[in-house]
Amino acid sequence: MKHLQLPKGFNFALQGRPEEEIDILGRPDRVGLLPEQIAFVKPRLLVRPGDPVRIGSPLIEDKRNPAIKFPSPGGGRVAEINFGPRRVIKEVVIELDEQEDAVTFDALTADQLDQIDRQDLVQRIIDSGLWALLRRLPYRDVAPVDRTPPAILVNLDNKQPFMPAPSLYLEGRTDLFEYGLAVLNKLAQGRVFVGTAASQGALLESLRELVTHVYTGAYPADDPGVLVYRTKRKPADNHAWYIQGQDLLMLAHLLKTGQYATRRVYALGGACVSRPMHLGARLGAPLAQLMDGRLDSGYAGDRRCIQGGVLTGFATPPSSYMGLFETALTLVPEGNVKGAFLGFVRPGFDRPTYSRTFLSRLNRSNLKMDCNKNGGDRACIACFACADVCPVDILVHFTYKAVLADEIEDALRHGLLDCVECGLCSYVCPSKIELMETLKQARAELQKEQI
Amino acid sequence: MKVVKRFFDSNRQHFVEGGRFASLYALFEAIETIFFAPDTVTRTSPNVRDSLDVKRFMTLVIVALLPHYAFGVYNVGYQSHLASGVSTSLLPVILTGLSAVVPMVIVTYVVGLAWEVLFAAVRKHEISEGLFVSCALFPLTLPPTIPLWQVALGISFGVVIGKEIFGGTGRNFLNPALTARAFLYFAYPAQSSGDAIWTLLRDGRSAPVDTFTGATPLSLAASTGSDQTVAGQLAEAGFSNGDLFLGLYPGSIGGTSTLLALAGAAFLVILGIANYRIIVGGMLGVVLTGGMINLLAGPQAAAFLHLNPLHHLTIGGVMFGLAYMATDPVSATHMPGAKWVFGFMIGMLTVVIRVFNPAFPEGVGLAIIFMNVFAPLLDHLEVQLRLRRRIPNI
Ligand code: SF4
Ligand code: SF4
Repeated sequence: MKHLQLPKGFNFALQGRPEEEIDILGRPDRVGLLPEQIAFVKPRLLVRPGDPVRIGSPLIEDKRNPAIKFPSPGGGRVAEINFGPRRVIKEVVIELDEQEDAVTFDALTADQLDQIDRQDLVQRIIDSGLWALLRRLPYRDVAPVDRTPPAILVNLDNKQPFMPAPSLYLEGRTDLFEYGLAVLNKLAQGRVFVGTAASQGALLESLRELVTHVYTGAYPADDPGVLVYRTKRKPADNHAWYIQGQDLLMLAHLLKTGQYATRRVYALGGACVSRPMHLGARLGAPLAQLMDGRLDSGYAGDRRCIQGGVLTGFATPPSSYMGLFETALTLVPEGNVKGAFLGFVRPGFDRPTYSRTFLSRLNRSNLKMDCNKNGGDRACIACFACADVCPVDILVHFTYKAVLADEIEDALRHGLLDCVECGLCSYVCPSKIELMETLKQARAELQKEQI
Repeated sequence: MKVVKRFFDSNRQHFVEGGRFASLYALFEAIETIFFAPDTVTRTSPNVRDSLDVKRFMTLVIVALLPHYAFGVYNVGYQSHLASGVSTSLLPVILTGLSAVVPMVIVTYVVGLAWEVLFAAVRKHEISEGLFVSCALFPLTLPPTIPLWQVALGISFGVVIGKEIFGGTGRNFLNPALTARAFLYFAYPAQSSGDAIWTLLRDGRSAPVDTFTGATPLSLAASTGSDQTVAGQLAEAGFSNGDLFLGLYPGSIGGTSTLLALAGAAFLVILGIANYRIIVGGMLGVVLTGGMINLLAGPQAAAFLHLNPLHHLTIGGVMFGLAYMATDPVSATHMPGAKWVFGFMIGMLTVVIRVFNPAFPEGVGLAIIFMNVFAPLLDHLEVQLRLRRRIPNI
């Protein structure tokens, strides 16, 4: 077990941290899939409204790589398909029926797994429609089926507000997890890394030698990209694959039992939640089911429903469903109100900040944060905060300028592809420059060119 | 507060697209956001943003400058009353100081803001708060006797040439306030040099009373012969070490007080707004260069060469320049290592200019502008060194 000390990043003290307890929710009437939110996949619909589907029937496939399919999270009937502007497929909604038929596969015992040929294993995963859970650095797109990765990383926790506690979703499932690691070992030919924070004492205790890297440090210390950045020795190491802890369990469950796992643990948190906690619910569960009765009724303003954490996540309307990769729903005030009178000269005891310009630096309690930009768009004032906070030592404002000037070679030398898309640079920027978004788009362009 | 809110809400219509004063939208926005932060929300991830914005960042610099204004008003009045041979009791002194400083500040802001609004309207961007800092700094660097039309001309040059032609705040590579100051220095040497300009005379006097020497400590130091010591000359002119540290001597309006500049620097460093590397590097540059010159100077050399290096920090505006001008993040070097070099070189050049070039008694302004020009090069060198250490990812 290796120890890593990660020097950079930032820890957020945000109101609404989910308690380590879990409520199990029943079966909803409908579940959904959000094709729009699956990065780097150009979805083609395989079903039409009214079609009967089983758990695991493919709903969409990737136009660029039709072998990659995405299975239905529920059994019943396609109730609606909702499109956004320019016909992006926002939601495929399944109305569940009573019996919920499921697609099943042959179970693969641990011994069989030992014997199976790597290529057969790859084919099984592709056939099950879960291959897309494996992602590849540096772009974070779907792992290429025809390559062997230099390593596969499993990230268990995530310090971003607010992600599920690994101790909850791993409870009683260590065997399954171990099986999952065996699968990865086959895929990566032995180079599998499992990282977790040193603060996860009980978890470390239960997983023991399964954990290969223990780190101390602030968000996003737990990101696979950061792990690669801190451990890489040669350029080839940049192309490691990774998979989230819960996704690994899902994959392991399918291979081991031949049946789809349809439940996962969600973290429900944020200042607008009266009792932040964890919920056991269906894959693609409606947000309404997760929020039902748990909202802070004292708050009258608009809320934003964020899936995937307040920094890297995306906003969805409350009528939507949990996305395929998502494990967290965070509800924060929208913040579409004007600031306090002469707010910019107030001491700001309760204003969260990375800088040292508010008295909140002396305030130890968790603070409320909304989605207000907290300032107007300005030109870069070279405060260097973005470079100071970047977990992978990118000189963000220089890189940003290189991207804007279309000097991609220069941006690459600055480490554009090392960026882990943590969002901290955009978060800290006093000029409110969309640094992360700009780098992310430049990376996406590069990804397109590579294919 | 409600009234203010209602005022802005009811008048916004005139300033948005299609309104009568649409071209003045930037001004409206600037004024409104002074009272209430806007209600804009994030459209892309990250969903949340830090509470710090440029407005607060820049405002805190202005807050740090306020003591300099308070002291400057007093000192201008005090020196003026001393020179004119009238009572130096507090209230009249302050009134004299105010009557000199306030018009300069007003002219600076009105003219500076006018240019900024013009450029903001043409370029359709918001007014940058950097302007308010430049306008707060500029009068502090001026002698109290300067004619107001020169103030207006100077700030115009600083804002337009020092900043806007490069594309506005964030793209300028010179410090606008210093550009303005340097312009006046070279364009109007008569009103920018000599001992007489540093003291305002009252009641129509054309010369100070006999007991008032009128010389600034820097010019005293530069004119001290090799048979005397600068310290002795300063003491003879009535400047105790305490006065020098406090800033109670004729000079620019706000630049004389080393004590306040140190306090302001500490304030800004603690808040993370000014970078300590530049300030400490600059002080080291001053002291080490002064010390080197001490060692190298022969017995026949001018007395200025033998000045105790610590004195260089208390006479003239070097500490003020280091604390507020050199640390302007945009025109300074950006990289941490380069900041040390940048600061050190400023300190060094300041002393060299002071000691060896009698035409410029105060060198800090020129030293900063000079180093502003080299800042991108220093950054480039450090960036390339750093990039070499990265394992390529392409
Ligand atoms: S560039 Fe920004 S988003 Fe990318 S890793 Fe650095 S701080 Fe995070
Ligand atoms: S945080 Fe923003 S303003 Fe500061 S250096 Fe980075 S891009 Fe520029």
